[in-house]
Amino acid sequence: MPSSKASTSGQALRSELAAPLLPRSRAVGAWRIDGRLGRNLSLGLLVLFLAFLSLYPLAMLFYGSVHSTPPGEPGAFNLSGYRDIISAENLRVLANTIGIAAITSTISMVVAIGLAFIVARTDTPFARQFEVLITLPFFIPPILTAMAWAMLGNAKIGALNQFFKWATGTTVSPIDIYSYWGVVWHLMQYGIPFLFLLIVDAFRAMDPALEEAASVSGASRWRVFRGITLSLLLPVLAGAFVLSFIRGVEAFESALFFGTPAGVKVITTTIFDSITQRAKPEYQLATSLAFAIVGLMFLLVFVQWQILRGRSFQTVTGRGYQPRVMRLGAWRWATFALLCLFFFVTTILPVGQIALGSFFRYIGFYRLDSLTLEHYAATANNAELWRAVRNTLILGLTGATATMALGTIVGYVTIRTRWRYRKVVDGLAWLPWMMPGVVMGVGLLWSYAFLPRQIPIYGTIWALLFAYLALGMPISSRIMSGAFTQLSFDLEECSRVHGATFGQTLTRILVALAWPAFAVGWVLTFFGILRELSASILLYSVGSEVLSVELYKLWTNGQVEEVSVIGLMLVALVILFRWVQIRFLNRQISAI
Amino acid sequence: MLRFARGFSAMAAFVLALAGPAAAQNADWDKIVEAAKKEGTVSLYTSTLGAPFHRDIIKAFTAKYGITIELLDVRASELDERIRTEQASQRYNCDVVQHGSASLLNTYDRPGLLQSRGEVPNQKNLREGFAEATTDMRMPAYVLPYGILVNTDLVKPADEPKSWKDLTDPKWKGKILSDDFRALGGGSVLFAVTDDKFGTEFHEKLSQQGLIFSREVGTDERRVAAGEYPLRIPQLASNYLRMKGLPVKLIIPEEGASFVRFEFGILKGAPHPNAAKLLIDFYLSPEAQIIYANAGMGPVINGVAEKANPEARAVAGAKLMGTNVPDKLNAQLDKAKQMYK
Repeated sequence: MPSSKASTSGQALRSELAAPLLPRSRAVGAWRIDGRLGRNLSLGLLVLFLAFLSLYPLAMLFYGSVHSTPPGEPGAFNLSGYRDIISAENLRVLANTIGIAAITSTISMVVAIGLAFIVARTDTPFARQFEVLITLPFFIPPILTAMAWAMLGNAKIGALNQFFKWATGTTVSPIDIYSYWGVVWHLMQYGIPFLFLLIVDAFRAMDPALEEAASVSGASRWRVFRGITLSLLLPVLAGAFVLSFIRGVEAFESALFFGTPAGVKVITTTIFDSITQRAKPEYQLATSLAFAIVGLMFLLVFVQWQILRGRSFQTVTGRGYQPRVMRLGAWRWATFALLCLFFFVTTILPVGQIALGSFFRYIGFYRLDSLTLEHYAATANNAELWRAVRNTLILGLTGATATMALGTIVGYVTIRTRWRYRKVVDGLAWLPWMMPGVVMGVGLLWSYAFLPRQIPIYGTIWALLFAYLALGMPISSRIMSGAFTQLSFDLEECSRVHGATFGQTLTRILVALAWPAFAVGWVLTFFGILRELSASILLYSVGSEVLSVELYKLWTNGQVEEVSVIGLMLVALVILFRWVQIRFLNRQISAI
Repeated sequence: MLRFARGFSAMAAFVLALAGPAAAQNADWDKIVEAAKKEGTVSLYTSTLGAPFHRDIIKAFTAKYGITIELLDVRASELDERIRTEQASQRYNCDVVQHGSASLLNTYDRPGLLQSRGEVPNQKNLREGFAEATTDMRMPAYVLPYGILVNTDLVKPADEPKSWKDLTDPKWKGKILSDDFRALGGGSVLFAVTDDKFGTEFHEKLSQQGLIFSREVGTDERRVAAGEYPLRIPQLASNYLRMKGLPVKLIIPEEGASFVRFEFGILKGAPHPNAAKLLIDFYLSPEAQIIYANAGMGPVINGVAEKANPEARAVAGAKLMGTNVPDKLNAQLDKAKQMYK
């Protein structure tokens, strides 16, 4: 068992995120389910529930892609949607999309690996504090960071360009945020913290025996890092990269803000245009394009599986160990400076703009006579907003807990059992991740609206809850599958041999060891629910307004300062949640 | 005396004869009001997402009639798909839809999603032009006028554009931030109206001006105010009224403002049809229309624009140039995509 210090320091067994693509671990210790009627029934219900969450909306979307009209309207089945997407323009857009996603994911992964290594495996000062601060940008609503970076990086009067001109005496603006690279930069603001969150605990939780053996055999630090550390973490890193790449392909806000004015089109903006920019929405074209992307993503995931098959990646075993921390000497201040620089660029610069602007009548217009607290007052007095906050907190707390519980069950069945249909479970959990959000929301609307009237989901808060479950399930199942993959079966065997029941083994061994992953997944899912807009705007009803929709309403009406106030509140909430998660919950569970 | 009495009786009978139908109409309307109060609530779906004036009008309506309004405001495309899906699945949640006139015609009226409304008392006050636009299915609600936003620090009064055609002046090349002509919204309406009014030559010249297209209305207005660009087109008048204190000015060119007309319709299967009619009538009342006027929209009834707040008066009573023709929507979007690549 890992020592308590290892547990406390976050033996988060996170993220081998491509669990369906891993080879089966050896089966000794895995639960035999076949032949137990009760368990088979439970598992059957699990499959049905997962199918309702993911397969049903996707089936509705598929219907939309092969039918000339959306569900409920008379029409004819045909493949004209799939035919129409094959064009030189769409191929160019696809190349743009894949290029942006690949560049973003690659650079983000390199930076995230560096940050994760510094935080988890070196004696850099204040590493634990930076662990929270580095991930902050991920939780800030994209419209706010887009506004901030627009003010910082526009070619004409952006603050960064003004500073450069002042410092160098030139008239050249080196930065133009409204460009291809502007889209990449904005995506990286989310990509780096996202990847960091997914990989940092895997770095921390490794048994250092193999690294020590390599060092003793004469390998340099760089060789050990490249040949041992990265190799052992390959499933985690590969899975994280695939998730990040898919996110990049489906990215929307960054492309809309910074790509559209520069003529940079991506698949999601093309899909969005086909739904919103025609007198009659072209759902067949939109859904066909979306399924073409789903097909490509499946191919990518399959390739990853082929690369990883047949290898063992268990890094947490029954032997005790201490995670290996590298002593850097004076160089630790250099790594400290790197972390400070990263935090300054990704958080202080944009959030600082937002924070500063919230105290002035208009963001970007800083005069003493414009200082005001009116936006804070307006926010405090906005009854609709606080009703939405209440709804969102209820949905977030319930939804995140339910989503992570479901992800735990899926992860357990997929990784720790030999049930013959476990891959079906895994596949169903993956599905919603592949579908662009702008289309998935429509699929959820169609699926709930066309349920029998006796099932009271559409038009109620349950529609939102089920939607969030469906959208959060891929992340939760990936995280928990990854956590369970890293656990050796001898831990369970040891527990069973000593007389523990299945429940005791599950809670006191598996949950305890996977708890840091569960906690991080919970925070990710909770804030994902807070930010989710595509499905919320289609499913919310009177009385079940949510924060993301209210924020968007304020934004659309030019009340950007009030959006900034709410954004700052969200940042404070994130810091609080993450602090609680790291400081208290991990420590508590390691004492179970 | 007898002759006087006969004359008086004849006059009285004549007046009663005139008043008869009006009295009968009032009685019919009173029944609708009573039935609406019994219904107790009405559901309004609107594409005017998040507009603050919704709250004021809802309060006034509820205070007057004791009927609650369940408001659902979403983006236009989501509104259309929600209502289409609800109607197709026979979930009749919505009573009244408020939408742009082109969408209400193409997406709701023509596919047969609306029901007959009948006359409402306040429609007799409709302004010229709006009365003609009224049908039994669709009723005008207000207009959104658009003009040109100018940064007053960068543009001297003598250099301000006075006409839409002044935008083709080479001095504005590369300096005009514009709502995207190739996407549904104010930009496409401006393209359609100016294309109809000035002909293709106008846009052949304008397309050489290097317009910078964007769809982020809220931030784009601030970019002009910050001095990133001197001009923005088309600028929503209601948003301009919320930019007090910033160095900007709204110009309504001499040809008038392009505009979008918003209309009401009652959906088939509406669960509260009487409350729906009452709501539409209330929105045409002076007390509701003045709320629109003060928010920078154009009222559709007489006698309101001149009573708006001083800062809103010029906008509320602005000369109107025109709006897009629903049947030409897709063709003009395609034309804009061709001309502005």
